[in-house]
Amino acid sequence: MNFSSNHGFVNQLLVYTLVMIGFSGSIGLGTVWMRHQISVTANSNKQLDARIAMVERHLAETITAAESERDTRVLLRRNAEWNLGLVAPTHGQIVRLGEDPVMRLAAKRNAGLFGDTAPQTAAVYLPLARR
Amino acid sequence: MSRGFASNYRLVLLAVGIIACFGGVGARLVQLHVIDREALVAGIEKARWRIDIEKARRGDILDRNGSILATSRSMLVLQVDPQVLRPEDEHKWPELAQIIEMPFDEMARIFRTKTRPVKKAPTTETNTAQPRFTGLKTENVAEADEENADLDDAVADNGERLIRWAKLRDEITETTYAKIEALGIKGVYGTRVYRRAYPHKTLAAHIVGFVNKEGVPAFGIENYADFYLRGRDGWREGERDGKGREVAQFRTREVPASDGYSVTLSIDATIQHIVEQELAYIAATYAPQKATIIVSDPQTGFILALGNYPTFDLNAYNKIPKGEEHVMRNVAITDIYEPGSVFKIVAAAAAENEKMIKPGMRFDCSITHIDYLGRSRRLPGEDHRFDEPLTVADIVAKSSNRGAVQLALLVGQDRFYEYARAFGFGQVTGFPSGAEENGILAAPGTRGWDGLTITRMPIGHAVAATPLQMHMAMGVIASGGLLLRPQVIREIRDAGGETVYRYGPAVKSRVISEATARTMRKYLQGVPVSGTGKAAAIPNYEVAGKTGSTQKIIDGRYSSQHHVASFVGFFPASRPQVAISVIIDDADPLKGRYASGGLVAAPSFKRIGEQLIQYLDIKPVYEAGDSNIVMGGIHR
Repeated sequence: MNFSSNHGFVNQLLVYTLVMIGFSGSIGLGTVWMRHQISVTANSNKQLDARIAMVERHLAETITAAESERDTRVLLRRNAEWNLGLVAPTHGQIVRLGEDPVMRLAAKRNAGLFGDTAPQTAAVYLPLARR
Repeated sequence: MSRGFASNYRLVLLAVGIIACFGGVGARLVQLHVIDREALVAGIEKARWRIDIEKARRGDILDRNGSILATSRSMLVLQVDPQVLRPEDEHKWPELAQIIEMPFDEMARIFRTKTRPVKKAPTTETNTAQPRFTGLKTENVAEADEENADLDDAVADNGERLIRWAKLRDEITETTYAKIEALGIKGVYGTRVYRRAYPHKTLAAHIVGFVNKEGVPAFGIENYADFYLRGRDGWREGERDGKGREVAQFRTREVPASDGYSVTLSIDATIQHIVEQELAYIAATYAPQKATIIVSDPQTGFILALGNYPTFDLNAYNKIPKGEEHVMRNVAITDIYEPGSVFKIVAAAAAENEKMIKPGMRFDCSITHIDYLGRSRRLPGEDHRFDEPLTVADIVAKSSNRGAVQLALLVGQDRFYEYARAFGFGQVTGFPSGAEENGILAAPGTRGWDGLTITRMPIGHAVAATPLQMHMAMGVIASGGLLLRPQVIREIRDAGGETVYRYGPAVKSRVISEATARTMRKYLQGVPVSGTGKAAAIPNYEVAGKTGSTQKIIDGRYSSQHHVASFVGFFPASRPQVAISVIIDDADPLKGRYASGGLVAAPSFKRIGEQLIQYLDIKPVYEAGDSNIVMGGIHR
């Protein structure tokens, strides 16, 4: 190819121009694709944010409802409504021990096991049978 | 090479044409991006630029075990744009009315009212509420807002203004809104707002306080700790599309919202419930004007429970009838009363601390007059006759008025005043909630101090204190002589749960020595054993306390019918773990007896104390050797 003639120069110019157009077009398409991807990602993030916020809102609502149900007045009402019969121990029912309760209970459980003390005979009364 | 099509002329023409085209495009770009840039960008920014406020979530208020006393939850304000409603959705209206619990006729009237007179004042129900709403917006709301802005001045054919916004219902839950969305009625939409919720309703109402619908904290911890609780709103700057929706990729600046810190209180919800249950019992039994019960840890000054009667539901503060707003007052710090005999602890502690009491010293409490500073002073009357001289322990246990006055006179009026001041009277305690009263404590030589004051103040007259002041004064004896600042905030935590600040005990001053405090505790142990507060005695426990029964001033005169009854004490006396104050104003006792502290307040102390023993696992403490309580027959 003759590069020194006018034709050669124009041909070269046309080729380079076409290459430049092709290259610019590719860059442009790439940019558009990239911006589209950015847009898709941004929207996806936004939707995720919205979903997280929605879950948090539902969580807050559920926690509030659960806390309301844990209120002592509500629990007492439920106790009565459902006939659970749960009562707090009164002061008089509590016996404070000056010794280790585990040892005391163990001694009570094992009393008579090795013949150290004779087991007490249980006396059963049937008041109705006496009538 | 054949010249063919590519003649010189044609090639040059083609090249020039292409270059001209590029040049033209380039020139246009330069014009748009450089020359006209300012004007074009300004126009675009005006049309597309938007700032979205992201509301911070207000922090929670928790009790010391983590139970939520106040929290924020998202709710929706349901609205309608009557211009957008479609006739094909009309069959869904009854179901909507049912979901939002609104009479169908009323809802249909709102839906069908599409215009309003132009001259109508802008304070109608349908158009006033909108500016008050704040919070996160839904997408369709943003769209609707955009349309509202565009059509704000739209006028119908009849010359009336078009209604683009009308409120249907406040406080729709997320669950309910999901059902409404499922109906798919175009033009019905919700605006999200954060609303404060108080799951335990009346529990610790006067401590927690509330935030009103405008988001303004009214009182209590909500108000005091607002700086920590409120958080910081965030914002986003970006662009919107033709429908007013945010174009996420064009966010230029974004400041995320910082949620508020959580405040953990020293209040225990269970103890608070015990207290409020007792207050309900007092209200049902004695029909008092008001009553206060305070429970605290005397070693640290942290309040475990504080309840008042009457009280109110924090979720329904706006439903309190006119004239009944006083139920919102935290009377434990805002109302003052004459403490009566409980104040005798000041005279006894002062005399003891000044080492005026010698072993075996007794006081004649049958005398009616006494000389002081060259003048004969008339002593106050006694409820009981004391033929034998009394020891200091007897004066405290039997609540002798004349004995208490003689103790104060031993100290002298100036020193006695200084002790009263040191015990915290006449000044705010520093309680972090609400408007606290100073109380009344006149200094010698001032207008409020006359010749009778020195014979009246030692028995709790001529002085006024808030229930909390009296409670903290008793705390001086329980804590070993230290005046502590009553505290209710335990710690501040950030949104991630990390502790930002932890409060510790705050000692204001040392009032009396530890030895004096120990002696005073022994004196006060006599009150439930052989004195005026027998009803406060708890089997197997050393209870120390003092009864108080003050005549109320009605129409400027002391009334024999109206009293303030109180019992302020703590236990176990030798190692105090809880201090309890029960103050009942104008109780109506059973069987016509007058409402003394020993009759109406001391039993409450006992009932609360017995429950606290189990809940806090308070073990009985017996001092070796000289515990007169154990030896005195109360030990079972």
